Formats: sequence, C-alpha cells, structure tokens
Amino acid sequence: MVVRYGQILAVTTRILTELWRTRRSLIFWMVFPTLMLLLFGLIYAGGSSTATSFDLTAPGVLIGAALFFSCLGGPISVIVAERERGTLRRLLLSPLQPSAYFLGIVLAYVCIALAQTVIVYGISFAFGGRFHGSVLLGLAIVLLSVFSFVGLGFFFGARFTRRTEDVNGPVAAFGVPLLVLGGTFFPVSILPPFLLTLAYLDPIFHMNQSLKAVSGLGYTAAQVSSHLIFLVAFAAVSMALGVSSYQRMLEQEKRA
Amino acid sequence: MNMIEVRHLEKRFGDKVVLNDLSFAVAPGEVYGLLGPNGSGKTTTINILADLLSADAGEAWIQGEPISEKSKYALGIAPQMISIYRDLTCEENLRFFARLYNLPAPRVEERIRELIAMFRLEDYRATEVAKLSGGWKRRVNMAVALVHRPSVLILDEPTAGLDVSARFELWELIEALQKTGVAMLLTTHLLEEAERLCSRIGILSRGRIVAEGTMDELRATIVARQLAIVETAAEERLQQAAASLGWTWRRRGDRIILWLPEEMTLQEFVQRFVDIPLKSVALQEVTLEHIYLEHTGSYEVPDLAMV
Repeated sequence: MVVRYGQILAVTTRILTELWRTRRSLIFWMVFPTLMLLLFGLIYAGGSSTATSFDLTAPGVLIGAALFFSCLGGPISVIVAERERGTLRRLLLSPLQPSAYFLGIVLAYVCIALAQTVIVYGISFAFGGRFHGSVLLGLAIVLLSVFSFVGLGFFFGARFTRRTEDVNGPVAAFGVPLLVLGGTFFPVSILPPFLLTLAYLDPIFHMNQSLKAVSGLGYTAAQVSSHLIFLVAFAAVSMALGVSSYQRMLEQEKRA
Repeated sequence: MNMIEVRHLEKRFGDKVVLNDLSFAVAPGEVYGLLGPNGSGKTTTINILADLLSADAGEAWIQGEPISEKSKYALGIAPQMISIYRDLTCEENLRFFARLYNLPAPRVEERIRELIAMFRLEDYRATEVAKLSGGWKRRVNMAVALVHRPSVLILDEPTAGLDVSARFELWELIEALQKTGVAMLLTTHLLEEAERLCSRIGILSRGRIVAEGTMDELRATIVARQLAIVETAAEERLQQAAASLGWTWRRRGDRIILWLPEEMTLQEFVQRFVDIPLKSVALQEVTLEHIYLEHTGSYEVPDLAMV
C-alpha cells in the first residue's frame, strides 16, 4: 500500500487550523498545565529549592495536565465532531486512506504535544529547573505517551462516544483516577503498598516515573528500561486498539 | 458509454427488500432525476454507487468501470447533509478535499480559483463556513464535490432547506454545470426542481423503477390530457358519472381527481355534471406531481366493485 503523505499532511493541517481558529481547546491545553506547574512547583519548593521543585514537577505536569487532556480528549472530540457533522461520511466518499487519516491525527497531536513540552519546560527553566538527562530519551518518552493517549482516544471516541456531550465522560471516568494513581501531582511514595502495586499497571505511572527519572534526575535508558518496555508495549496495544476501533467505526458509518 | 449504469441491482437489509431489480443509466451531460418516497431505495442506490455498500446482486458501473476505489476519482457526491468543516474557510475546505485526491499543489490552487468563480464565492473565500447562510453553505458543499473534476456528480437533495431565492440560484448553478458536460444523478423531493433540471426522470417505488423517461414520456404514462380536481359532498355520484363517461378517477385526501381524456374549459366540465353539487373544481395540466403520485401508489385507487 502506498503511503499518501499528502493526505496525512492535509489531515494534520486541517486539525491544527481548526484548533487555531476555535482557540478554546488550545488555550485550555496551554493555560491549565502552566497554572498547575506554577502551583505545584511553588508548593513543593517549600520543602526544597525552587529549581529542584520545578525539575521534579515539570514531567508530571507535562504528562498529566498537558498531554493527557490534549492527546486523549482531543482525538475523541475530533472523531465525535466528524460523526456529528457528517464529515466522516464525506471522507469515506473520498480516496482518503484510513491509515492516512489516523496518522494525520497522530501527527497533529504530536505537534501539539511538542508545543506543550516547550511551554512546560520553558516555564520550568525560567524558575531554574533543568533537563538533566538525555533530551532525545525524554522526547522518546513524550512520543510514547502521545501514541498511548491518541490510541486510547481513538478507542474511546470510536466505541463509547457518539455525541459531543459524551466526550468528558470517558476522560473523567477512566482517565482522572489513572492520573491520581500514576503520581501525576504528588510522589507515589505516599501511596499505600496495595495502591503502589496497582500503580504498576497504570501507564501514566510509567510515563511519569520514566520522565521524572530522565528529566529530573538524569537517569539513562538502561536505568528506566522497565518503564520503557512497559510504555512501548502499552503504546503498541493502545494504537492497535485505536486502529481496530476506528476501522470498526468506519464499517458502521458505511452502513448508517 | 453511459456515465452511470445500474443493472438489476438487489439489496436486502435482513428481511426487508430495499432494491429490487433496479436498473437505470445516465448518459454524458444528462441530469437524471431519481425520485421516490422516503424508504424507496434512493440512499441505498447512492451508497452502492459510492462504494459504501455492496449490492447483493446486480452490477453498477461508473464511467464504464465497475464500482471500486478507483471510481471515487470519477465520482463527486454532494450529500444532503452539509458536510464540510465549519471552522475552516470556503477556500480551506476546498483545499483540504482537493489534497485528499492527491492533486499536485498548482492544480489544487487552479481548481480552487475556478470553483470560487463558478460558485461566485469571491466575497466569501476567506470566510469561515460557520458564518455563512444556508444557501452559501450549500454552494460550498457542492463545490467540494467538484474539486477533483469528476465526470459524474451525485446531488442528494441539493436544495433541501433553502429559501426560494437561494434555491433558484442553486438551480442556475446546476444548469451551468450541466453545460460543462458533467453527468448528474439528482435526488429530490421537490418535483418542481426535478421538472426544471432533469432531462430524464426515474420514479422509484419499493426499490425498483416504476416509470422512467423525459417529462413528455412520463406524461404519456397517464391517459389524461388534463386533470379536474373536484371537491363535492356527492362523491359516489361523481364517481359513478365519471365511470359512465369512461374517465379514470383517483382520490387524494378529500378531493377527487378526474383524468380528462381531452382538454376542456371549466364550463364544459361543469355542464357534464349539472346534476351533481360541486363545491369546487380546478382544471390542471398533468404535472410531475400527479405522475409521481400515480406511480408511487400514493393515490387512493377506485375499488372496481364500486365503479
């Protein structure tokens, strides 16, 4: 099968243009992590230096307050809007390859995730924070997180949401408990042992722990390998779930 | 070569037969109207032509080729629901859809210019679709269907929900489009629209074409030169009188419709029924509406025992 790069870029450009035009989501995705970072950065600075506090707060905020909402909630909103407005059906009438559509959305949210990363770390740097480990390794963790969230976004969007009002349901019901359990806003060291065991099954826990270790403490890939293995496997499963749910949705849409 | 050809199509959804030996063809430059009540099979036909559904039996061709992924390049479809991106401008919508057809960038821009001019969108090219009125949205909806220069265009109720003036403007656009040689399949519930735009019409009922042809050919399917639409309290006497004259009659609501075998004046008509109290009489030409109602079984047909 020939990969249609033009189609992928067309979908990405369209989504980014729509987001820029409406701005509401973009503003939320930028302002919320900024406020959370400032808040938690300054709270934790009470027990250590401001620089150390921002070093360790930035990764959790990036994963939990930025990427989680944009890359999980965003694709769900896109899919629901396409169905509600009849544009998904129109795309089916065109020669757009399903894979190009999927990759176009992934690419759009990779762009948004990179912008969020720049903003979160920009603020952290302004308060004396630093990125202590390999930037490439950090980017790899961010990308694995984006793939995991976008795949899940397709899964929930295609299977459980039909109307715009349904979008917040899956995000709140499944996502927020995972954020809390994953140690997004406080150290997992305060979790009771049985919850800590449960946290090992939470992908957000592995995203947070690996990025905190690399970014805040300068750990190498070998030192965070168990988290990376989990994340690679989870991202693959999530994308596979997303693709199969999306294909199922297309078949349903054809018969509608 | 026909631009659309459908032969003996059959489609069932469970026990329900939706298409039943459906056959029709659309020639180059022709506007073919596919008319029928809701549930008669129009949407299923379009979905099969669009490669969204497969038929249980029969065959369909677009531009001489069996329906396949490739036929998407020859076919443009303007769906009934306005299906464009409301947060994008007219120009951005056209550009997005053009890129899905893998057109090279210079051709995309050239085609956008052509369509902006054809649909008179110059003043709105940079306006977000959400800010346009229904008529302008419909124009963009149709322009998007033409972005890849299809030789076949399917217009699914293209003027649904439009006011009279917007509808007339869109009709003019469709007529202009017809002159470019694009073959069109048009579905509509507005019989005036079909009568004005279509060179041939197929009336679909219960999944098959029950009447087909030009307006003149369709008129010939009803043995009447004129129609009399009558309101009377003495319905039975009127029916008996009509039967004695050998005239066919139909009922629609509380009106009796008599098929007159020859043209006559109101006075001549009334003289034939002097003994029957008539509340109102209107003489009418045979229009597509009557032909449609006759062929789709929407008239109440006389009980033979009663006549």
